[in-house]
Parts: sequence; C-alpha cells; structure tokens
Amino acid sequence: MKGTLTYQRKQQYQYASLLLPAFILFTVGMIVPIFMCIYYSMMIWDGYTVDMAWVGLQNYINIFQDEYVMSSWKFTLIFALVNASVADIAALLLAVLLDSGIRGKSLQRTIVFIPCLLSAVVTGFVWKKLYSTVLPGIVSALGLPINLQLFGSTDTVLWGLTIANCWQWTGLWMMVYLAALQSIPPEYYEAARVDGANALQRFRNVTIPLLMPAIVTCTVALSTGAIKTYDILVTATEGGPGRASNTIVYYAYNVAFKLKQYGYGSAIAITLIVVLLLISVVQLALFRKKEVQL
Amino acid sequence: MTSTSRPKMQRAGMGDSRYTWSTFGLQLLGLAVSFFFLFPFLMIINNSFKSQRELLMNPPLSMPSSFGFTNYVNAWKKLNLGVAFSNSLFYTVVAVVLIALLCTITAWAIARGKGKLFRASRVYFLIGILIPSQALCLPIYILWNSFGLINTNFGLIALYISTGLSFGIFLQTNFMSTVPVDIEEAAQIDGCSVYRTFFSIVLPLLRAPMSTLIIVQSFSIWNDYMLTNLMIQSTPRRTVTLALKTLFSSTANDYATAMAAIILAATPIIILFVALQKQFVKGMTMGAVKG
Repeated sequence: MKGTLTYQRKQQYQYASLLLPAFILFTVGMIVPIFMCIYYSMMIWDGYTVDMAWVGLQNYINIFQDEYVMSSWKFTLIFALVNASVADIAALLLAVLLDSGIRGKSLQRTIVFIPCLLSAVVTGFVWKKLYSTVLPGIVSALGLPINLQLFGSTDTVLWGLTIANCWQWTGLWMMVYLAALQSIPPEYYEAARVDGANALQRFRNVTIPLLMPAIVTCTVALSTGAIKTYDILVTATEGGPGRASNTIVYYAYNVAFKLKQYGYGSAIAITLIVVLLLISVVQLALFRKKEVQL
Repeated sequence: MTSTSRPKMQRAGMGDSRYTWSTFGLQLLGLAVSFFFLFPFLMIINNSFKSQRELLMNPPLSMPSSFGFTNYVNAWKKLNLGVAFSNSLFYTVVAVVLIALLCTITAWAIARGKGKLFRASRVYFLIGILIPSQALCLPIYILWNSFGLINTNFGLIALYISTGLSFGIFLQTNFMSTVPVDIEEAAQIDGCSVYRTFFSIVLPLLRAPMSTLIIVQSFSIWNDYMLTNLMIQSTPRRTVTLALKTLFSSTANDYATAMAAIILAATPIIILFVALQKQFVKGMTMGAVKG
C-alpha cells in the first residue's frame, strides 16, 4: 500500500510541475504588473530619473480635478454605449437576414466578416481616407449638401468612429449570432406559425429569448472591448480633433509615454481596471436576472 | 456549435422556405449591406493603382489610368515587407504554438490534479481575463526594460504568451471533460509518467480545441499594434502591422503606396481565411469572447 501512496503523491507533484511554466509567465507578465501599477499610481515619477516621490492618493485626487481625464472617460463610456448598441443590433439583424431564404448567403456572410481580419490601424486609416476624400468627393459630385468629413468635427467624430469600428467588428458578432440561430430547432418556428404568429412575433417571442445567452456574451464583450479601444484611434483621429476622441486608454498611454508622467498614467490605468471590473459584474448580474425570468 | 445532423432543406430563415416578394426585398437589403462592407475594399484597390497625382487631381470614383504595379513594388521596397512578413510570421507562429501547448497542459493539469493548489490555480489564471492588458502597458514596459527584453524576439513572444494565457486556459478547460480519464489511467497503470500521458494520449485528443485556440490567438497577435509597438523599436524587427503604420501617420503623404501596402498585407490573410473558412469562423467566434 505504501508504494501506491507515494506513487499517487509523485503523480500530484508531476501535475503541479506542469502548472509551473504558465504560472511563472502569467505571474511575471500580468500579476506583478498589476501590483507595480498600483505602486506607481501613488508616485510622481518621470520614468527615467531616480527621483520618485511618494504622494499617496494625490494622483487619484488629481484625476477627479483633471478635465481631460473626465472628458476622456466621458467619451470612452459614450463610445462604448453607442458602439455596443449599434454593433449588437446590427449583428443580430444581419444574422437573421443572412439566415433567411435569400440567395448567395454564404458569399454575403464572407463579405461582412472579412473586415475583422484587418488590423485596427488599417481600418482607422482607410476610414480616415474615406471620410476625408472619397465620400466628400461623391457627395459633391451628386451635388448634395451633406458634410461627410466625420472625423473633422468634435460633434461627428463619435459617429465616424462608430461606423468605422462597426464596419470592422459587426461581421464577427454576426457569426456568433448565426451559430446561435442555427442551433434553434425549426420546430419552434413551426409551432409559433401554427399558432398564427407573424414574422415579427416569431422574432420577438422565439428568436430573442432563445438567443439570450448569445446576446449576453456579445453585449458584455462588445462594451468592454469598446472601452479598451486604442489601435483604431492611432491612425483614425489621433484622439482629435482637439481632444474630442481620446479614449481613456489612449489618454493614459499619452500621459505615461509622451508626457512622461508615469505615476499619473498608472493611476488612470487603475481607474480603467476598476471600471471594467464593475461593468462586468453589473452586466452579468443584470442579464442573469433576465435569463431567470424567461 | 452548429448541429450538422439536421437536413439542410428545413433551414431557411425562421421557418420560411418559399421565395416570395418579401424575400426579394430582403435580398435587396442584403445587397446594400454587402455593398457597405465591400465598398472600402473597392476604394483601396482602386486607389492602389492610381499615381499620387491622380489621387489628388481626379475625382475619387474615377478609374485608374493604368493598372501598373508601381505602387506595389514601391510599397514592398519602402516597407521592406519581405522582412516584415517573416518577422510577423515568426512571432505569431512561435507565440501561438507555445500558447496552445501551455494552455492545454495547464488546463489539463488543473483538471486532473487534486487539492487546494489546483483549485486555487484555476481562479488565479482567471484573474487575467478580467484585467485588460492595455491598462498594464506601462508596468510591463518598465519590467521588460529592466530585464533587457525590449526589442528582443524573446521579450515580445513572452509578452504575447503571458497576456494570452488566461483566455486560452479558460477556453481549454471547457474541453477537458471530453478526454476520457479511463484511457489515461490505463496508460498510467502501464507505467506512463504524467508527462508521457499528456503528450502521447491527451494532446492528440485535444487537437481540435487547440487549433481553435491557435486561430484566435494568431489573429490578435498578427494584427496587434499596441503591445508590439511598445516592445519593438527597430526597423529590422518590426512586424507587418508596425511597418504599415509608418505609412499611415498624418505626416506621411504617400496614400497610393499605403493603399497598395494594405492590399499586400491583407491578401495572404484573406486567402488563408477563404481556404480555411469553417475553422476560422469557429475559432474567431469562440475567441470573440476575449474582446
């Protein structure tokens, strides 16, 4: 018996040893930086000199008095809300459309999906060119009095970015919805049809409830993803015009690396972590309630 | 995800199977949608054949005067795309293979090990899903800098792995129930070590979820700008995405070359996608949860 016991113990050690490489990389690359971030957020430091001064919570107090942080957060949250709603609804409707009886569905699905294969910096650049040269050219050729230079004005930059971002990502979420749609048994629709439900009623009372898990997934991922937006801004607007399209990640990055305020930048990064955690918790709690009601 | 056993005939939009006028209306809507998604690509292709002069003088919808490949040749030379492609390929392949292996091993060890250590590890690795790597740029940079890992292949790949682990382990954990424990036990009774059991029995059974993970990670790594830009500062080491970016800044005034470069960079990926469409869509939709 003693032999088997030591054998099992040896086996457990072997399993534990398998955890080690991932544990080391994850700890060094994710966990240690979190603590470093918290530590730096209480410092004033330019990142190069040895002068590092402890300021306690002063950086956090400054955040609330810094109108640029506040405006960046405002833009980030509005962008996330608008972007998540538009992309979510568009993806769901496109999935239903491309799951209907129309011809050429698979080609159209591919076309809608392909933009998400591009890098976000490419998307940003392409839409900048579309808004600045191509679309105004078309509009003026048609003689229409519409201004399509959406990145040029603080009022429209939000919508310009939403269109560009949704152009890139809607296809991906459409595919998530398509997979969910195709797992709904057609008998449910037959039954609803026999009961005299029209297309809209079938969509409302069969499709939506059965898609609820997919809708939760997409909404949570879309909104948290939009809050973390950075890459597309680098080429599309560079946070402009003025500071109108600074997301919080973009602003924190600039504060840290361009303005050399490592401490303050870290404090802003901590607010991002906290907000994302809160949003995930709230969203999951809200949607869980909805699912139970069904 | 999709059940394939169902006969195809039954599947037509919420139970509709006839082609009616309303289907025709939807067809037109579908065409309009496809046009919206396709239009930017048409514009890129069109512009990539125009000369810089043509781009400035002629209306945007005019056709290029000739279909020469000058811009493409310029883009390839100017960005040194040959080097950039091989860099991107190297970083992506090494990182995703290691991520797929590490995540699968770790998820398996967590599922098979008994006791507090393994339960705690599961929660520990999950933390990474909730923490955005975007927020940790600065400390990661400082840490990597103090290790002397900035601008090194090892540093960049280690960063991709450490930020990709959580999600991968989370994804692979769901598949552990599909591996029959009986076979593993039989192998271990026959004297297989844990390591050998993993590589000769478990790994082959998990090929499908691993390939999903590989596709998910390849895309986010191949297209990544933020972390790569943080780590790589020298031209000979830069990736395709970093190389493209140099043509996109507001000071660069070379749109025609930029458009050709986009086509060059996107074509291999789009071809790969069309060839492996099914696996891609499956992989990317599962990875979508990552955000």
